[in-house]
Order: sequence, then structure tokens, then C-alpha cells
Amino acid sequence: MIEIRELIFEYPGHRALAGITLDIVKGSITALVGPNGAGKTTLLRCMAALETPYAGHVTINGLDTRQAPRAIHAGLGYLPDFFGLYDALTVRRCLHYAARAHGLSPSAAPAAAEAAAARVGLSDRLEQAAGALSRGLRQRLAIAQTIVHRPTVLLLDEPAAGLDPQARRDLSNLLLSLRDGGMTLVVSSHILAELEDYCDRMVIVDHGRIAGGESITLKSGARLRIRLATPRGDLKEFLEAQGVAVVESGSDHAVAGAPADAGARAKLLASLVQAGFAVADFTENTRALEEVYFSQTGGRT
Amino acid sequence: MNPELQRNLWLEASPSRLILIAGLLLLVFAAASVAPRGLATPSGAALALYWFLAVLWGTRSAAQSVVVEIRERTWDSQKLSSITPWDMVWGKLFGATAANWFGALICLPVILLHAASEAGVASALTYGGILLALGIFAQSVALLSSLVLIRRNTGNWRLDIFLCQVAGVGAAFTYYSLWSSVPAFERSGTASIDWWGHAFNLTSFHLVSLLLFLAWALVGCWRAMRAELRFANGPYVWLAYLFYGAVYCAGFESWIGPRVNMPQTVDPVAAKLALAGLSLLAATYSMAFLEPKDPVRLRWLGEQVRAGRFYQAFLALDCWMLSYGASFAVGLVLAGLWAENGQAAFTVLAVLGFLTRDVAIFVLMQGRAGGRGDFAALGILGALYLLVPTLLAGLHLQALNFLVMPSGVTAAIAAWLEGAACAYLALSRIAR
Repeated sequence: MIEIRELIFEYPGHRALAGITLDIVKGSITALVGPNGAGKTTLLRCMAALETPYAGHVTINGLDTRQAPRAIHAGLGYLPDFFGLYDALTVRRCLHYAARAHGLSPSAAPAAAEAAAARVGLSDRLEQAAGALSRGLRQRLAIAQTIVHRPTVLLLDEPAAGLDPQARRDLSNLLLSLRDGGMTLVVSSHILAELEDYCDRMVIVDHGRIAGGESITLKSGARLRIRLATPRGDLKEFLEAQGVAVVESGSDHAVAGAPADAGARAKLLASLVQAGFAVADFTENTRALEEVYFSQTGGRT
Repeated sequence: MNPELQRNLWLEASPSRLILIAGLLLLVFAAASVAPRGLATPSGAALALYWFLAVLWGTRSAAQSVVVEIRERTWDSQKLSSITPWDMVWGKLFGATAANWFGALICLPVILLHAASEAGVASALTYGGILLALGIFAQSVALLSSLVLIRRNTGNWRLDIFLCQVAGVGAAFTYYSLWSSVPAFERSGTASIDWWGHAFNLTSFHLVSLLLFLAWALVGCWRAMRAELRFANGPYVWLAYLFYGAVYCAGFESWIGPRVNMPQTVDPVAAKLALAGLSLLAATYSMAFLEPKDPVRLRWLGEQVRAGRFYQAFLALDCWMLSYGASFAVGLVLAGLWAENGQAAFTVLAVLGFLTRDVAIFVLMQGRAGGRGDFAALGILGALYLLVPTLLAGLHLQALNFLVMPSGVTAAIAAWLEGAACAYLALSRIAR
């Protein structure tokens, strides 16, 4: 669906993307995480064909962003981290304009505007001026504008920033419903705790590269954190030989998918001890995602 | 309806706003009609208001139509839309200025009724055409300037809008002052202008010139909008404009030549080429100042050349590069034509050397001085061409003028040494 190969992007005196290679499958939600300035926004803008890379390429549905940017724009929605709205226009007119600007006919635009408003829960605000909406409602209107033409790919840069818990939950549900409707989503976020609620994969971007070299599968059930008192280089191989999916590992620790039942976990622990691993910690970890993140980014925030 | 035009009409031409404008204008005309004789007339007030609405305020509205989108962070969504570049241009040009035109078109009949009573219907209609074209021309230049300025990403939107307004108003006033001088020429017995050896009626020549430059301004807007909407532009439209500008300027040789007592030794072809060269020099300096000179992009161009992808590099050349190349080519031909007159030929070569140095200074200063490198480069050039000669004269060191003024063999050598040094520094910076 989205194919990125050896993508390099430079600002004067600074290489923002240093050879990113990534595949994003159709009908998935991929989270882009990483420290500020890591290159997430630049990567999203390259995917949106808003920036021309120095080298490498991005293809979406087989179209190269350098060769066919306008064709890509037609099937894409992009919400920047700092977006703007036409504050003097009503919600209905904002959505009507967005629909027409994305090529919908004058007869189809009103219905598309109302459908988009309904999807984000703004049907009762259609005659309200955009400038009079709260932060959360503005965010919803901005998302409605990006989906009014039913794009196949939706890129969202920090969509949850500044939202209250209820609005974030609503956003999660909206993103899941869009994915279930066949859309492919890439979401940049700093809120790691919520990513597992709606993301299928996570990509950690750091210093313009993908930390660990590839994306990480999420939503694979509970995770185990295993820590060794004495480091051993074969921890990962041992766990994989036991049929455990290793999310992230080092010589003294591993984060792995937890076996489904307690018996299987006990068996895994026993096999580790029997193999001579000095197991100091063997717990289900609700903050595993954060640990993976900090491990890959060197603990920086 | 063009969605961009419709959105602008929603924002700019609300019924209450239009009623307010119409009411105010009618009040002004009423006041002018009862004012003491000699103080104000309705037609005089209408003309002043037309200039205010269509040119002074209209250029601001046109420039804001792009700059405010960036300030309000709505430009990205516009760039991702399916609106074509041309629809986006005229949607903004006539939508963002809708209120201005509403007022200006109320003023126009008052102006024309008075003009018709003074000089006849035909003259009044020509005058009306000129005023309309002038308003659109000023606004197009302002819109074009805004589209060029946003590529520089200065972040200072107030200054950007002001500069665009100055460009638009300046273009309109320049043209109008030429137009206003036509009666003076006619009174002095000059009712026609010689252009490429043919005599043209002054009024017609002015009107056609305005319409042609208006057409180029609109083409410029369209081309700049294409670039913003991620279309590849290629070099050919700019090359066509350079050719047009060169031909237009060169044509005045047959009018200027007899009036400036040009020496018999100066070949008319070389004189035409010199005028064409001047227009190319102006284009080079203008675009070297206005266009971004992104080192990353310049390095990418260099890599295309090194990899032998010459055509791809040619297609991606910026306007200032094309203008520099055209100036260089014309300069070399001119130097060849003037080879027998060594002094003139070396002066042309010195001009090319200083041009190389000056363009390199613009590239070197890009990104410096807190993002105002282009203004810093202008300051450096101002110092080189104005302050240094004054200083040398004050110190009785005019013999060193060859370092900054293009005249003769020594100046040509100095210019090329300076040009080569600056070009080396600029290329080194790009390669880093």
C-alpha cells in the first residue's frame, strides 16, 4: 500500500531523514513515534507528497510521490500537527468547501459534508462557526475535512495532542472505524499508552532512521518483561526457540508476547531457569510499549 | 462555481459588507457633488476611490489571499486539494478582491460618464479598459509576488504582504505614469513610437503593452501556483518570458537611437542586443533576490549534472539560473560583436564577471542574517556599487574603481577574479 525505500530528506545543514525503508500494509493503523525532531512530521509530509525527498522514493498505491503527487493527493487525507480552519465559515461551509476542493461535484458535496460531519459527531453543529468550536471539536472538524472525499490513505500528525480523555477515546474509536471501513492510517503520536488501543504496528523514528530497522507489531496480547541478573547473548534465540514472539531484546532483558494461559507462562519460566538463565524479573508488563520505545531511543524524551 | 472563488465570496463578500461599501461610496459621491466648485467633483472622488479600492487595497487583498493561508495554517490543505492551478489563481484573484471590485465597479461608471462628456465615448471606453486592466495588473503582480515570497519562507507575513503591495502598486503607478505622459508627448508632436522600425500609435502601444504584461503576470501566477500545487514547471515558460522581455526592450532601439545621438560606429544590431541584455540582467538580479536558493536543492542539481542527467537538471533549473545563462549568452555575443572596439567588449565581459560575483553573493548569503540573507546581499551590492566608489573618490583613489565598476580591460580581469572567488565560495558552501 505505502512503500518507502531509502528515503533521504535534507534541510539546509540537517539531514532529517537518513535512509528510511518501510512498508505499510493496506487497512492498517501504523503509529509513528519518536522524540521531537526525530523526523516524524517530515516523513508524513513526504508520504503526503508535500515535500520532495533528496533521494529515495515513496509510492502509494503504486504511484510515486515525485512522479504523480496530484494523483496521490486525490486519494489521500492529511492532517498537519498545527492545522488551521476557516474560522468565519460555518461547519457546513467548511465541509462543503473541503468536499468541492477535493473534486466532488456541486450536487454530491452537501451529502458528503453531512456524512463527514456525522462520522465525527458534528451533525448538531453544522450551522456553528468553526471559530466558535472548542479544541476537541475543531480537531473533529479538521479530521472531517480530511475524510470528506473518502480517501484510501489518511495521515494524521499528532491528532490527539491537546485533547481531553473523552475526546481521545472518541478519536481512537473514530480511527478504528475508519480502518474497519478499509482506510489505511498512519498516525504520529507522543501518547504511547493509547497506541495499543488502536494501532496495529508501531514505527519508532529516531535521528531520521527507524529504530530497530523495522516496525513493531502491536495488539498481540499481553507482554512479558524478562530481566536477567546475568546477561546472556542467546536470550532472544532461546525465547524464539520456545515459540515466543520477541518484540525487543538485549543481552539482559527481553520484551516478548506473553503465552495465553498461566500454565504456559509457568512452563516458559521453568525452561528459562533450566537453561541456566538467571531470571531476575518475569512479569506481565502493561508499560511494555514505553520500555520498547525508551530502549530504542536511548531513554531520551 | 469554482470552489476557491465560492469560499472567498463567502468570506469577503458578505451582504452586509457590500451594502456598507455601496452606502459609503454613494455618500462620498453625494458629498462631492455638493462640494464647493474646485474642491471636489464626483468623478475626481470616484477616480481616487477606484485607485484606493482596486489598486491600494486590492493589492493587499490579493497578496493576503495566499500569505494569510500560510499564517492561518490552511495552505497545506489547499495544496492537497484537487483544484487546478488556474482555478486556484482566478478563484483567489477575483474572490479575495471581490469586495474591492464591487466598490471599484461602482466608481467606474462615474469616472467614465465624466470622461465621455470631456473626450467622447471611444476615449472613455479606452480609458475604462485601461483602468480595469490596471487594477487586475496590480493585483496579479501582488499575487505573483506573494507566491514567490512564500517560497522564501520568511515567516514575516506583515512584511511579505507589504512587499507584495509595494510591487503591485509600483507596477500600476509605473504604467499609469507612462500612460499619463502620452498627452505631453502628443503635445510635443510625438504621437507615435518607433518600435522595431515601425511607428505605432502611442495610445494603442501603451494599451497593448499593458495587456501583454498583464497576460504575463497571470501566466506567472499560474506557473507559481503550479509549483505550489506540486506540478513540475520546467524552464520553457520562463525562457519564453525572457525572450519576450528581451525582444520588447530591444525594439526600442529604433526609438532611442536617434534621440541619444548614438555614435555611427555602434551597430544597430549590437545596440538592440545591448537593450535585450539589460532586460536579462534585470531579470537575473530580480530573480536572484526573490527566489529561494536552497543549498540542498542546488546540491541535488549538482549531483544530477555529475551523474550525467543533464536534461533532468535542465528541467529543474530555477528562473535566476536560466536568466543568468541567457544574460551570459547574450553578453558573449555582444562582446563578440564589439570585438573590434576592445574597450566596449571588455566592459561587457566585466559586466558578466560582476554579474557572476553578485549572483554568487546572493547564493552565499542565503539562510544567513537571521533568514534575511537576500536583504543582506542587497546591502552588500549597494555598498559595492554606491559606497565603495564614493569612498574611493573621497580618498582620491579613483584608479581603483576598476574593482567595482565595469569599464575596460583591468575591470574585466578584476571582475572575473572576484566572480571566480565568490563562485568558488558559493559552490563550496553548497557542497558541504
